[in-house]
Amino acid sequence: MPKKIITVDDAMTMRKMISFTLKEAGHEVIEAADGAIALNLLRNQAVDLVISDVNMPNMDGITLTRRLRELPNFKTVPIILLTTESAPEVKSQGKAAGATGWIVKPFKPEQLVALLQRLFPV
Amino acid sequence: MSESKQFCTFFVNGLFFGVEVLKVQEVIRFQDMTRVPLTSPTIQGLINLRGQIVTAIDLRHRLELPPRANGELPMNVVVRSDDGAVSLLVDEIGDVVEINDDVFESAPETLHGVARDLILGVYKLKDRLLLILDTERTINVSAALTI
Amino acid sequence: MANNDALQQQLIKDLLVESAEGLDRFDREILAIEKGEGTTETPNIVFRVIHTIKGTSGCLGLNKIESVAHVGENLLSAWRDGKVEVSPEMTTALFAYSDALREMLRCLETTGAEGSADYSDLLQQLQDLLDTTATPAPEAPAAPAGFGLFEDEPGTNVPAPQPDAEPVAKTVAPAESDSPASKAPSAAASAIRVDVGQLDKLMNLVGELVLARNQIVQYSGQAKDSALIAASQRLNIITTELQESVMKTRMQPIGNIWSKFPRVVRDVAHELGKDVQLVMEGQETELDRTIIEAIKDPLTHIVRNSIDHGIEKPEARAAAGKKSQGNLVLRAFHEGGQVNIEISDDGRGIDIGRIKQKAIEKGIANHDQISRMSDREAFNLIFLPGFSTAEKVTNVSGRGVGMDVVKTNIERIGGSVDILSENGKGTTLKIKIPLTLAIIPALIVTSGGERFAIPQVSLLELVRLEAEQARKGIETVYGAPVYRLRGQLLPLVFLNQTLAGTSRERAGGSGFMQQQAHDTGDLFLKAREAHRNWLRKLRQVLEGTQTMTLEEAGSHTLCALGKWIYADGLKKFGAVPEMQALEKVHQHFHDAVKEVVAQKISENPVKAEAAFKRATNISRDVFNCLTNAEKRIVENQNINIIVLQADGRQFGLVVDGINDTEEIVVKPLGKQLKAITCFAGATIMGDGKVALILDVLGLAQHAKVISEVRDHALLDKEESATRIDNRQTLLLFDAGAGSRMALPLSLVARLEEFPRAKVENSGTQEVVQYRGQILPLIQVSKYVTTTRPSEPICSDPMQVVVYSEQGRSVGLVVSKINDIVQETVTVKREAAGNGILGSAVIQNKVTDLVDIPAIIRVAAPAFYENHSPAADSTPEMQAIL
Repeated sequence: MPKKIITVDDAMTMRKMISFTLKEAGHEVIEAADGAIALNLLRNQAVDLVISDVNMPNMDGITLTRRLRELPNFKTVPIILLTTESAPEVKSQGKAAGATGWIVKPFKPEQLVALLQRLFPV
Repeated sequence: MSESKQFCTFFVNGLFFGVEVLKVQEVIRFQDMTRVPLTSPTIQGLINLRGQIVTAIDLRHRLELPPRANGELPMNVVVRSDDGAVSLLVDEIGDVVEINDDVFESAPETLHGVARDLILGVYKLKDRLLLILDTERTINVSAALTI
Repeated sequence: MANNDALQQQLIKDLLVESAEGLDRFDREILAIEKGEGTTETPNIVFRVIHTIKGTSGCLGLNKIESVAHVGENLLSAWRDGKVEVSPEMTTALFAYSDALREMLRCLETTGAEGSADYSDLLQQLQDLLDTTATPAPEAPAAPAGFGLFEDEPGTNVPAPQPDAEPVAKTVAPAESDSPASKAPSAAASAIRVDVGQLDKLMNLVGELVLARNQIVQYSGQAKDSALIAASQRLNIITTELQESVMKTRMQPIGNIWSKFPRVVRDVAHELGKDVQLVMEGQETELDRTIIEAIKDPLTHIVRNSIDHGIEKPEARAAAGKKSQGNLVLRAFHEGGQVNIEISDDGRGIDIGRIKQKAIEKGIANHDQISRMSDREAFNLIFLPGFSTAEKVTNVSGRGVGMDVVKTNIERIGGSVDILSENGKGTTLKIKIPLTLAIIPALIVTSGGERFAIPQVSLLELVRLEAEQARKGIETVYGAPVYRLRGQLLPLVFLNQTLAGTSRERAGGSGFMQQQAHDTGDLFLKAREAHRNWLRKLRQVLEGTQTMTLEEAGSHTLCALGKWIYADGLKKFGAVPEMQALEKVHQHFHDAVKEVVAQKISENPVKAEAAFKRATNISRDVFNCLTNAEKRIVENQNINIIVLQADGRQFGLVVDGINDTEEIVVKPLGKQLKAITCFAGATIMGDGKVALILDVLGLAQHAKVISEVRDHALLDKEESATRIDNRQTLLLFDAGAGSRMALPLSLVARLEEFPRAKVENSGTQEVVQYRGQILPLIQVSKYVTTTRPSEPICSDPMQVVVYSEQGRSVGLVVSKINDIVQETVTVKREAAGNGILGSAVIQNKVTDLVDIPAIIRVAAPAFYENHSPAADSTPEMQAIL
């Protein structure tokens, strides 16, 4: 079943890549350039999945996760953080903030698709 | 098994010329031209081809042939080039012909002058010879008059 | 997935754009740190730039960029976390680092691969900075690549099931993959990114629309249908608005290219040991992107130049009583539909004496020209090819591009550069450029029956002289036509003559008015003759000795006069009412002629005779109309002068008619016409015909309005010129630097070369032994009074022209023998002075004719002892005078 997914990243190329991969897999994607924009968008619309970068201007991914978890309709929506190998502590911060999982950059489109399969088994 | 090619043919001063069909963008009747001052007579003028400005080269002058009789209107063979389209002014348009490569022969050694530079070779047809024009070279003229 | 490649290409493009912007930002932030202006956010920003590059390039499989980015990221992350203190060493390394990344990206852009450059030293340096100042970052316990869900924890990372990915990808609907455009609203703010190619295409389409609009507006102007007129007016307004909007989408703030200047200034200043503060004002000033592209390099060059040649080293500044830090100000602002860019420094300024001296040394100008130059003109010498005031070519500005290239590049886009300088105080370069290139306002004029467009930017004013005024108003200065515009002499260029390749000598000046009247007379003479011949033919038809078809008889366009009316007459003089009357009368005439032939065919001689009488009566009116039209045209020969500016100088362009101002779409000319500098391009007019766009600068140069001062001075002597029909064989030589001289070959005994070592002195006279005689040597340049510089000739061997008279010889030392030519010369005696008989234009260049006896009398009086020259000058000399 197609899902509606938001990708949050200040890197336009990264957003495009994620968005394209997800669209190819048949999903609907919206984009946000940082946590603040995403939070604003998500106050008014529901999504099935949030994929967010961590280090972003204005509002980082950890904060976004925490703030989203405060919203009533985001209690259970999966939130995946894009992390890097060099920052292992981010994972624990993310977990504490309420993130659902992580994906390590760089990743291949197939990995993203596989992660989605884990999250939304057919 | 030899290949064959298609040529767009035309006449200039009674000579039968051909240009590879792939290089020809279109063939159009005579168009009003804007003269370009300070150019050699090779450049007959500029044509508005659906908003694109195309330089018209008089093939008679380019090939050092006698000028067209007064009142005779040339036709435009518009060829593609890296620099955009260029029109070759010819006397009359012939058919598009498909010719087998085995009747091709490179230009005879005895050709001289501008023809040697511009004629790639000759196809020996049954009743006549078809001269193949090197369009890139033909349109490669610097038109500034040297004063 | 077939379009994966295309996607990859697209993503790489995006990466390039994004990374370039990021790295510019990176540089700015590091610069701020260096100046002590960094904020707590700075380390985070620069970290994020590199972090993004690393992440994105990694995902795109660009492993080299990723790994280089990774090293920097480590250092920056340590800095962000306060584990590393920033140092000058570190900022310098970080600049080198951003350059390295740029280099790899550029390589990726041009070759499609990351390149093989080795950055290990740089990376080691970054690593060292990290190691020496920080406790080694606890290297991540290499988390296995992939992804995971926290619910799976502890310790059960889900491995990436790569083979399984394939089936998923296959479920993709092809239709979906063909339309990657987002169906969802882009949330990335209210701005979107649009491909530049797309904008260019849009702009072209708008250009086409503007043309179509112009055509429709023109046709509907003649229509009576009010609905059509209203619709065309709406179309007109909408098109204009659309055009403006599309142009706006192509506008970019100039700050986009300025953003790299802080870095450029820093690097150049460091390299040269200078301290420079860069101030930028008006970064938000917008320009069309094609123009932005075109001025990028010239501006960079100017900035480098200002630091290199303008701003002094701190010690020198202090010694001159200035603040040790130099100031470089970039300022941009809109003014009068143009963008002004000023680059000022408070450096040492331009030493005008040095410039002038250099110009003479380089043979760019001579003493005379220099002495007449205003300071402004002298400053502008630095824009001439081959001019560089730098004592030595430095690494900074000596990059093979001179200011001449800067100027050419700016002028190519319709801009202009001006330079102001005060010695010791500083220099300011002022650049004016158009906002956009694609669609420009232009004045449409007619000349010789053709229309031309003149870009509005070079237009200063229009002057229209009524017939009477025109006859009086146009004066000549030695043959060169001028008009007194508010007391200043404005040189005139007649467009039809210039474009006909007619030189001023042949049809210039006061002659112009007569010439024009003459031309008109010729034209009408032709018309009368044509009509007379035709009447003769008609009579023969009546008499039965000729035949004529009914069609030929009835057509007012097929006969010779008809052709004249529609080809020449109406095109050139259509506005004259008598010409319109002529057209009507001529039509009536053919109605009558048709009757003649019709009656003739039906063999009715009486009626045919009567019709013929009617035709001849009308024919009389035809002649009357021709006479009246001619009279009116000659009387009305108004003069339209368009005052134009090119290269800082004004001139008046005389055209036949001035039409309208229109927005024109500039289209390039084919490569065949690139060499003709008089035209900047072409455009399509409302009626679909092509009109050429004049290149004002090129035209001015072609018409020699902008040329050497000296040439003017001599061409001006034309009025007293005497024309001699017999051809002369002349020896052309240079007497000194750049002064061209001529001498009838008949006076030359021999041309010799003497090694300098052979020169002896006899008293004060330099001599050589030559064929058993003592040959006195005369340095021609010393004895001729020309307005050109004369410098001693020091070439070795010396070039000597041996002149003999009555068995005696002298050697004339010249700097160079140029040529021997056969020419009919017109000598203008005004230039005559000591040693010069006059001057003439030979091989298109002004050449002085040497008066040898006069020179000898002064230089070697002994030569004429015991005999006197036959006359004031030799018979040969007199022959050409």
